[in-house]
This record gives sequence, structure tokens and C-alpha cells, in this order.
Amino acid sequence: MSATEVKTPRPVMGLYDKPMWESVRAGAMKLQRCKHCATWLYPPGPSCPKCLSPELEWTRVSGEGKIVSWVVFHRHYLPAYPPPYNAIAVRLAEGPTMISNLEGTMPEDGCIGRAMRLVYVTMPDGVMLPRWRYEG
Amino acid sequence: MTPSPLAFGGRHPNPRNKRAAAVIGVGHTDWVRDWQRCRAGEQPNDSLGYGLEAFRNALKDANINRDEIDGLIAGPTTAYERMGELAGLNPRWGDQSDAVMAVSQAVMAIEAGYAEVVALIYGNDQRSVGTQYGGPAAMGGNAHLSYVYHSPWGFTSQGALYALTLQSYKHARGFTEREMGEVSVAQRGWSSLNPNAIQRKRISIEDYLASHYVCQPLHLFDYCLINDGGVALIIAEAERAKKLSSRPVFIEGIGRSDLNSGATSLESRVDEFYLPAQQVAAAQSYAVSGLGPKDMDVLQVYDSFSVHVPLALEGYGYAKVGEAGKFLRESGIGPGGKLPTNTSGGHLSETYMQGWAHQVECVRQLRGECGDRQVKDARHVHYTSDVAGKCFSVIYGV
Repeated sequence: MSATEVKTPRPVMGLYDKPMWESVRAGAMKLQRCKHCATWLYPPGPSCPKCLSPELEWTRVSGEGKIVSWVVFHRHYLPAYPPPYNAIAVRLAEGPTMISNLEGTMPEDGCIGRAMRLVYVTMPDGVMLPRWRYEG
Repeated sequence: MTPSPLAFGGRHPNPRNKRAAAVIGVGHTDWVRDWQRCRAGEQPNDSLGYGLEAFRNALKDANINRDEIDGLIAGPTTAYERMGELAGLNPRWGDQSDAVMAVSQAVMAIEAGYAEVVALIYGNDQRSVGTQYGGPAAMGGNAHLSYVYHSPWGFTSQGALYALTLQSYKHARGFTEREMGEVSVAQRGWSSLNPNAIQRKRISIEDYLASHYVCQPLHLFDYCLINDGGVALIIAEAERAKKLSSRPVFIEGIGRSDLNSGATSLESRVDEFYLPAQQVAAAQSYAVSGLGPKDMDVLQVYDSFSVHVPLALEGYGYAKVGEAGKFLRESGIGPGGKLPTNTSGGHLSETYMQGWAHQVECVRQLRGECGDRQVKDARHVHYTSDVAGKCFSVIYGV
């Protein structure tokens, strides 16, 4: 299989996504936090959905979270993701929910609610992804 | 989230919307024929062609002249202008909408006086042209960022969105895999009685549990079909409908409520199961119609995936929150059950017409045309839809 065939699916890269992905590449993920009401945004955007303020500050996340749901794919949709593989929804300590993957093991019944820790994983094609491990 | 019947200060749509319009004609293509032709590698028609075949059938069913029509809504899969051109319609009002929005828009246009007889035409060649609902070019990504945003993590396909919803729903409510299976089993029970249905073989809970996962926790039988076809409806202002038709099916009331907060990160699905929006939509339609869940003889739920059904049972007031599983087990939604639901077999078993064919089934149940699957003396049929948090409640009656 050639390198082009295992390309990690490219992220949606709108104007406001770029700083987030740069922070991921630097191994220190940042999200926007509203300067007025302290709401955290995910995905990134032009203004705060809670108070409509456009004054947002890129701020490093704590890397703590909690798993709120999970799935295991059994169908091959994407070259970079041969099944079976998982996806999880994690509630960040800061508030937003993020869709990602559980590293190191597969999720199973009873895992909802477990504490999670953000990790940075380099894909075979060099793309860096924020993923999660069980805490401890 | 707080219970929402009191949301928006308890304000509801104008009660004059009650029975403001009626369906006077329905038409569709032969899904079984086209399924077989597609399986044989043919392309029986294109989206426009399917829509126009359905439109011809709807005109015949309504027994009206095309000149009576002064409003047109084209479905989302075909260009409005080309559909109007081919249908030979130059209406004084027009729109482009998905199924339930189209019904709602037609009623509003009629109520506002912009049109009196509206044709709604939908065609989709999704099977023969291989429309993708997963992967990097997933259909709908332009309208719904959540369909494409999570693909770097391999999270793709409509099924994955609903699998993630079902997993947290199971956890929150104690809902079981076996209870989920009740939906596909019941709908196959119905489709086995429907000669228009593509999948008619009955299945058992054991068959369901033994079937493979596509995206765990969703099994193969939790997924809708992907097939070609078309549907058309003709909706007329109530007085006009009575003059034009001997068997109008009235729209008793419509409610809508959208939950957009947390849509892209999926919080509205995974945390809330769209419940607050469903409750507001339900309350609005019940207030306009003066009817409630107890008045409904048949329920039709938009079912791209089976998990829509338990969410609807709770959201639209048929089961207490947390008791949809018990309802599925004890009351039942299949043939012989207390709440006949998706009596055509729905998207899972009859045809995947993205909500359009459900409207046809509502009308036919109320006209008493459903043969072996007819629900006796059906007076009120409820259609619900929660696609991407746009929650609708439409009540049909005779």
C-alpha cells in the first residue's frame, strides 16, 4: 500500500480550525475561551454561542475529560481505518464534547463515565491527532 | 434540560391551523421493481424521472387536472427549477424542502394564501448512482458539519452518529440490545404484510442478535435500506380539498422545534437524545389539534435507524422518559401491538424515501387502503421526525 492510500482523512480546515490544529501539532491543544462568559468552544468558530461575543482567547486545555459514549466500527469506510476500530465521545473538563479515539485498548460495556487523559498520536502519514487514554 | 411543554412561555401556533389543509393525492414509484432492476445492474431512472412518475400517480390518485396546482415543492435531491420545468408547473408559490418540512411549508403557504393546491415531488436515484452516506464525500456534509467534521478520527457515516446516540442512551436509560431489536422485528412484521415493501422476510429477536454489527452497538437490521424511488403528494386548502376530493386526509396540526446547540460535537444527540425539542414539537401539535398521544391509532417515525423509535416514544409522549424499552416489550409496536408503528415497514424494511413514503402510509391508513396491515378504524395518525435535531410532529386525521 502506498503512502497516499493511507492518508489520514484531512480535517475540515475553516478559518477558525487552523489555530487549533497548529496547537495540536505543537502537542499542546488549545481551544477558544470566551473572554466575557468563559465558555469554551468546540469546534472553533467566530463567536461565543452563549453570549455572542467575538472576543475569544486561544487557551490550552487541561487534557482531562470523561468518556460519555463509544462505538466500534466493523465496516471499512476509510483507507486509514481498517476495522475494527473505535470512536469515543469525551466531555472535556472545560465543557465541550469532542469525538476522538480511545488509545491502547478497545472500549467496552461499563466504560462510560471513566476519567480520560488527552494524548497526541502521530499517524503513519505524519498527521498528529488528539486522542484519549484511560486515566491512570 | 427542563421539561419543555412550558418552553417559549407555553406559546403555540395559531389554532386556526387546525385542519387548514388536507392531502388529496399520493403517488409513488414501484420500489420492489426498481430494487430488483438496480440489483441487476440497471439504472431504471434518474431522480427527476422517479419524482415525475410519482407525480403522475399522485395526479391520478387525486383525480384532478394539473391546472389546479398553484404551488410546488421539490425535494432536496433535485433542482427545483428543472423539476418544475419537467412537471410543466409555473406555480405562484414554490419551495425546496425535505419531506416533513415540505408538508409544513405547504400548510403555511396555504394558510397564508400564497397557494391553494400544492404539489410536493421527490425523487432519489441514491442506489443506482451509489450515493455515499459515509466517507469523506458523505451526503449532507454541506448542511450538517457533524457529518464530516470528525472524519480525521475515522468517525464517519450516518450510522455512527446513531450508534453513538444509542450507546449513551442505553447507559442513561438502562435500555437493552434486546429492546432495540424489538423495533426491527416489529417493522419486519409489518413489511411482511405490505406488498410494496422491499424486505418482507420476518425476523426474530434471535436473528437480530445474531446479525453482525455495522457500527456497534447498531446491527445490520438497525440500518435503513438504500434504494431508488420517488414520492409525490398533493396538498390542498381545506375547503378546496373537500370540493376536489371525496376522501381528503386533513392535517390536524403541526409542531416544530429545533435543537441546534451542540449539533456539531453531537451533544444534542449523545446527552439529550433530542428530547427537549421533541417535547416542544409535540406540545405545539397537540395544542393546535386538541389531540394527544392517547388519540393516535398509528404512529409513523422517521427511521433511518431503529433508534429513532424509542427516542420518539419518549419525546412525543407515548412512554415516560426512561420507559421506552418497557413500552417496546410490553405494549408493542408491531402487528397485534398496542401502538402500531411504521406500519409499512418504514425505512428499515419498506423503502428509504427519506420520510416521504411515511406521509403516504399516514394517508393510506386513514383512507383504509392498507389491506393486511390496515389498522382498524384508524382516525388519527401521528408522524414524527427528528432529523439532525429538527424535530417535527405532524398529526393527520379524517
